[in-house]
Amino acid sequence: MSAISSIRPDLHRVGVHEHGQSIHVRSARKSYGTVEALKGVDLEVKAGTFTVLLGPSGSGKTTLLRAIAGIERLDAGSISLGPTVVDDRGIHLPPERRGLAMVFQDYALWPHMSVHQNVGYALRRGRTGSREAAKRVTETLARVGLAAKGSSYPHELSGGQQQRVALARAIVGSPALILFDEPLSNLDADLREHLRLEISTLTRESGATALYITHDQGEAFALADEVAILRAGVIEQRGTPESIYRRPATPFVARFTGLAGSFTGIATSAAGGRATVRIGDDEFRVPASAGVTEGAAVELMIRPTATHLEPTRGHSIVSASTGRNPAIAARIVDVAYRGRGYDHVVDCGHGILTAVFDEVSWTRGQPCLVRIDSEACMAFPEAAPIDGKN
Amino acid sequence: MSHQLVTFDRDTGRSRLDGTHVGAGAWPVGAEGPSPDEITRSQSRRVRARFTPLAAFWVLIGAIIILPIALFLCVAFSPALLGQGTEWFTLSAFATALNGHLLLGFVNSLVIGVTTAVLSAAIAFGLAWIVQRTDAPGRRIWTGVIFALLLTPSYLVALGWERLLEPNGVLQTLGFDPSGARDVFYGPVGIVVVLTVKGVPFAYLAISNALRGLGHEFEDAVRVHGGGPFASITVVITLLGPAIWAALAIVFAESVSDFGVASTLANDAHFTVATFTLYNAVQAYPVQFPVAAAVSWILLILVVLALVAQGRALRGRSYRVLGGRSRPAVRRRLSRPAKTTVSVALIGFVVAALGVPAFGAVSASLISGLGTLGTHEWSLANYSRVIGSPSLSDPLAYSAELAAITATVTVILAVVCARVLASRGTTAGGRLLDLVLLAAVALPGIVFAAGYIFAYNLPITQALGIHLYGTTALLFLAYLATALPSTSRVLVGSMSQIQESMMHASRVHGQGAVRSWLSIVLPVIARPVISAWLLTYTATLLELPVSQLLAPPGSQPISVGITAALSKYDFGGGTAMEILAILSALAVVGLGYLLFRILTPPGWRHLGGTQ
Repeated sequence: MSAISSIRPDLHRVGVHEHGQSIHVRSARKSYGTVEALKGVDLEVKAGTFTVLLGPSGSGKTTLLRAIAGIERLDAGSISLGPTVVDDRGIHLPPERRGLAMVFQDYALWPHMSVHQNVGYALRRGRTGSREAAKRVTETLARVGLAAKGSSYPHELSGGQQQRVALARAIVGSPALILFDEPLSNLDADLREHLRLEISTLTRESGATALYITHDQGEAFALADEVAILRAGVIEQRGTPESIYRRPATPFVARFTGLAGSFTGIATSAAGGRATVRIGDDEFRVPASAGVTEGAAVELMIRPTATHLEPTRGHSIVSASTGRNPAIAARIVDVAYRGRGYDHVVDCGHGILTAVFDEVSWTRGQPCLVRIDSEACMAFPEAAPIDGKN
Repeated sequence: MSHQLVTFDRDTGRSRLDGTHVGAGAWPVGAEGPSPDEITRSQSRRVRARFTPLAAFWVLIGAIIILPIALFLCVAFSPALLGQGTEWFTLSAFATALNGHLLLGFVNSLVIGVTTAVLSAAIAFGLAWIVQRTDAPGRRIWTGVIFALLLTPSYLVALGWERLLEPNGVLQTLGFDPSGARDVFYGPVGIVVVLTVKGVPFAYLAISNALRGLGHEFEDAVRVHGGGPFASITVVITLLGPAIWAALAIVFAESVSDFGVASTLANDAHFTVATFTLYNAVQAYPVQFPVAAAVSWILLILVVLALVAQGRALRGRSYRVLGGRSRPAVRRRLSRPAKTTVSVALIGFVVAALGVPAFGAVSASLISGLGTLGTHEWSLANYSRVIGSPSLSDPLAYSAELAAITATVTVILAVVCARVLASRGTTAGGRLLDLVLLAAVALPGIVFAAGYIFAYNLPITQALGIHLYGTTALLFLAYLATALPSTSRVLVGSMSQIQESMMHASRVHGQGAVRSWLSIVLPVIARPVISAWLLTYTATLLELPVSQLLAPPGSQPISVGITAALSKYDFGGGTAMEILAILSALAVVGLGYLLFRILTPPGWRHLGGTQ
């Protein structure tokens, strides 16, 4: 059963209402032995929004999600869901009384219960009448495209179907908050895309607040109203996917959200959030972070979308221009066919750029020019350690 | 005592709290929406409530496993410490234990242990190969045969053989002359036969599980590169190294620790083994606790040495053969003569292992006046005598009741132990429990029993107001202590398989801790719990060494009843009791699984079952 076909136009008739709950996390701290998983995290999530916590493994995102669920207990700090304080000094509301739902990475379906029973379990707390409960379970299973699978057991379903049961269990009770713990990480690429669409649509239709964690920036940008990027137990940046991509606050955020590469150079001028960066004979006039000062060594981060391949002019391979959108001399190192076109790896002399896209294929070893869109670059002080995708 | 309890309580509670997630272990809280103040109060209630059951659990583990054994083992070095002599430190008990008759016992045990280990591993490897790698007929009955053997106590196997071969026994009554076979069997050969038969199931389980996981590609690689069938079997044996060494170590430990054969066949054949010298030391007058403790130490050292040898033999080598790419093995089609040979070998083993003892016991129970020179008739008279006479039927009722109570309490505690052992991020408590249970599994039952007699007879125990010696309560505690370690080990596998997220999912979707456990964890572990209960029930019902040493005056467990009847030459009565006991155990096992099938929802049953 196709996931797309399960999302029907009559969705709006079933259990759709605005009732999301806000989340307020203040100075959340949590350690496991000597490892600090959360180092004073603050997070505000508005009611009814879809927020994605994005971070590499070990960044603390799972701990934060589990603390909000009530599965983990904070060492310090507080969590409120709507007006209710659920975690604070001396307060810990157990998970079953937080009125939320959750989709787990390993699905966490109960193997001794049928699909219908698994989904219906989440209605037990609401004291829903058995006839009403059966009706809602059937409706919800139909919404996720599993109407015919109610009497099956989890082990009789495929991975994608199992995760859809978990999704149905999460939305059947119309909770005010749904937590997603990397729900797509165990699925193959095609299924991920289908289920991502289902999660996005069904969650938004339900009106619930959604908090979703992932280490995949593509998934995060595709799903989120707002993204919060976590690194080593601290939130580094929050904002819309667009703002984070255009103006990463730190080199880590820039790297984690996708770079073609980076060059090191010297800031020949810096003022008003912009800087001129000299790298070899090339000059770039680019947005700069606050720490960039005139004469300082800087790292120029280049998004894949900032790059464009051009043929060399005549026989001389020299940089074409300086300043706003310079084109720098390069050579094609490798080429990979991506369906819509080709991703190239190019050696620019200053460094390697990857994922340089063109609709036509360039030959390995071929000289070329890479034109760089300065507005899609960002300069940071060079001292930042290279610890991007750890 | 109460002061000690409080101290223990607080310490254990704190260490437990540090290492536990809120999920599975948390206490349920009421259903209404609380104010923060209420939450704070309920929270503090919850923290306090957690101390008591866990502290009680540790006190129990200490009282039934750690303390009796530790005190008993101490007395080998320091008789004065526990009022058993004047010396504070001495090795004289060891000197006694390693001399003359006692030394002979160790040497005999060692030789018997090594021989049975090698024989059992070889037979088990052959069996596993036949069952898993060939199309030999009758493969499917093997799981049943192995489990029947596993559950049959060694003394019953030995007694069955004895009934056939003894003077005026079944064979002689039937007109045969078994004196030649008797001369061979009543001695080391018979002991090795019985202990090998008892060792095979352990070795088989270890080896067959490993063989099942071994893909066929290793053998294919040997054959493709020019090796013959012999070379490929050599490779398989090498790759199964860990399992074979485990089989050797387990069977050695089981044989050296065995008391059933020691107290029956070996005793009747006047062949000294270590466990019986330990029994004699405890039964002697005056009782020689320091010597018994020294013998226990040496037995323990033998068992530990076997485990160390297993570890050393495997060090530095990798046996990682199980992977996602392993191909299932192909069954070899046997030729007709090969099938016949294999069938004869398998039937021969079943006859020696189960057939002869069963025939011996059943036929003996059906012959009246067996063991005497008078007339012998085939009848059910022995059975009607056993059922009609309280002195013969009471032991079965007594043991059945005790076994049911022991199995129930053991399984409840074993679930707790398994939960602690399986929990993520092992705590200090978890590691200690792991060590205690592992050591207790290796401890021979007779050492346990001797430790109990010693610890609960100490003046200090009496002074503390604990008057358990000579009571059914102490027998129950000893049963519990011997059953708990292995039952916990059995359940820890199932508990480890439970994904924590299943409990979390239940909590997140609105159920409290207790209801989550009952609705999620209990169904998932129901089948292994039922199996563990039935296993414990059967093992306790027929248990010998602890029953022999700790039976309270006036009450006889069934194993003691059987051996007592036999020692009075009431062979018919004794074997009839034996048959009734086994039939009752089989009936309980059948009833247990039947009730599980009838009473549980379908979802519970498909877990752990086969499709």
